[in-house]
Amino acid sequence: MAGLKSPTLYFFLLNLISLLPLLAFSFSPDHPTDRRILVLLDDLSLKSSHSLFFSSLQSRGFDLDFKLANDPAVAVKRYGEYLYDGLILFSPSIERFGGSLDMGGVLDFVDSGHDLILAADSNASDLIRNIAAECGVDFDEDPSAVVIDHTSYAVSETEGEHTLIAADDFIQSDVILGSKKIEAPVLFEGIAHSMNPGNSLVLKVLSASSSSYSANPTSKLSSPPSLSGTAISLVSVVQARNNARIMISGSLEMFGNRLFRSGVQKSGSLHKYEKSGNEQFITELSKWIFHERGHLKAVHVKHNKVGETEEPPIYRINDDLEFSVEVFEWSGSSWVPYVANDVQVQFYMMSPYVLKTLSTNQKGLYHTSFKVPDVYGVFQFKVEYQRLGYTSISLAKQIPVRPFRHNEYERFITTAFPYYGASFSTMAGFFIFSIIYLYNK
Amino acid sequence: MGRSATTKDAQALFHSLRTAYAATPNNLKIIDLYIVFAVVTAVIQVVYMAIVGSFPFNSFLSGVLSCVGTAVLAVSLRIQVNKENKEFKDLPPERAFADFVLCNLVLHLVIMNFLG
Repeated sequence: MAGLKSPTLYFFLLNLISLLPLLAFSFSPDHPTDRRILVLLDDLSLKSSHSLFFSSLQSRGFDLDFKLANDPAVAVKRYGEYLYDGLILFSPSIERFGGSLDMGGVLDFVDSGHDLILAADSNASDLIRNIAAECGVDFDEDPSAVVIDHTSYAVSETEGEHTLIAADDFIQSDVILGSKKIEAPVLFEGIAHSMNPGNSLVLKVLSASSSSYSANPTSKLSSPPSLSGTAISLVSVVQARNNARIMISGSLEMFGNRLFRSGVQKSGSLHKYEKSGNEQFITELSKWIFHERGHLKAVHVKHNKVGETEEPPIYRINDDLEFSVEVFEWSGSSWVPYVANDVQVQFYMMSPYVLKTLSTNQKGLYHTSFKVPDVYGVFQFKVEYQRLGYTSISLAKQIPVRPFRHNEYERFITTAFPYYGASFSTMAGFFIFSIIYLYNK
Repeated sequence: MGRSATTKDAQALFHSLRTAYAATPNNLKIIDLYIVFAVVTAVIQVVYMAIVGSFPFNSFLSGVLSCVGTAVLAVSLRIQVNKENKEFKDLPPERAFADFVLCNLVLHLVIMNFLG
């Protein structure tokens, strides 16, 4: 008898069902910014010591879920579906994750297109080092080595071992670091990593200066350090081919309130900045990592013969055609037109027969027109666009091209006129000859 | 003086050819003129093709074949009409001319079709 309470209750419950679509309001191709982020911490005190960073994320609309890294309830996947769109690993010393997550799980998470922020420091465990190595970034193998720089350290009251570094060697990219220049150096205290220079997917966002090296500060150096100079990267990002973005930093302190609020003076320079560049650097970079910036989509590929509006199923050689595509960039809340002058289209069959730079109308529409080459076959319109900091665009649309039909050739070929003339003159000659022959006396 | 002897011989040969040729009947001379015209037209076309290339090859073949074909038909007419030719003694020359006309009609029909 638990059923019929009143019709009004039923109507109320039915109306609640209409709210169900809101539950699907997370990462989707129409709305690329991540929404739900799992934050795994070594120590719950990180929530307060890094509160500025976390509150800036939450104020931008992210849904943060804090868990201890060895909490047995940790899981990113349930019944084959991912519960989160992004992962922040602030647990450098964790040997084994709790719950069902392990290194393979983290890598699958990234392989499925989700984003990751990984911070290590001087007590980084093998698990964290291995995850970074799988992402293309190699931390210094010596577990006691930190980055030391005797000419670019941050000046402070206590004479330390110059492990707190003021770094200002940023990557030149407005997409990744924002359009506003970061004036103050960024304070860094942690371990060094390097990457394979042949890897085109990994970028050094913050490099160490050429006088830095990675070594144990308390012991004497017996041999030259293996990592030194600008080969050391302090913060790197990886943009995978499926557009997942990973940030790997050698310092967990860099994200913390203490360094956010601290002033900085680089040794050797007289200028003292009131506030370090950490907050601006970390905030802008996190915007890029979580796809609030630099995410492109290309839609509405259209092609047609010049003068017509509908797309034909096949072209003929030497036809004139027009091609257009629209490219949008995600601004964090909406799609805005992307404006650039280097988007190109190829008319491709095993190799590009036509390669043209598209001209834009400044509102996201890119168009061009060209003549179909004198070769028949199955071609593709290909738009391949990979630029630093932007997601890659890779579009291909197939279209066949046929040769002339037998009645599409010119009726009279100019180069054949002598032959036409010769045949007719033979006919005329025959006619005249027969008259003369017959009536010759 | 062997050189002048050969030139003298060549001149004598040429002279005798000319006098022999002058003795041929008029209608045969007309046929010869027609043959020369057809062959010269064919040679002009071949030289043109050597310069420009054989792009509409069917037109080239058609043009050359019309010249060569009428030359061949005219030659066969000359053979049949020549009174010194024992083989065709009994063939009336009108019959030979009628054959010539019919064959030329067929030839030009084919040429027009193949000309493109």
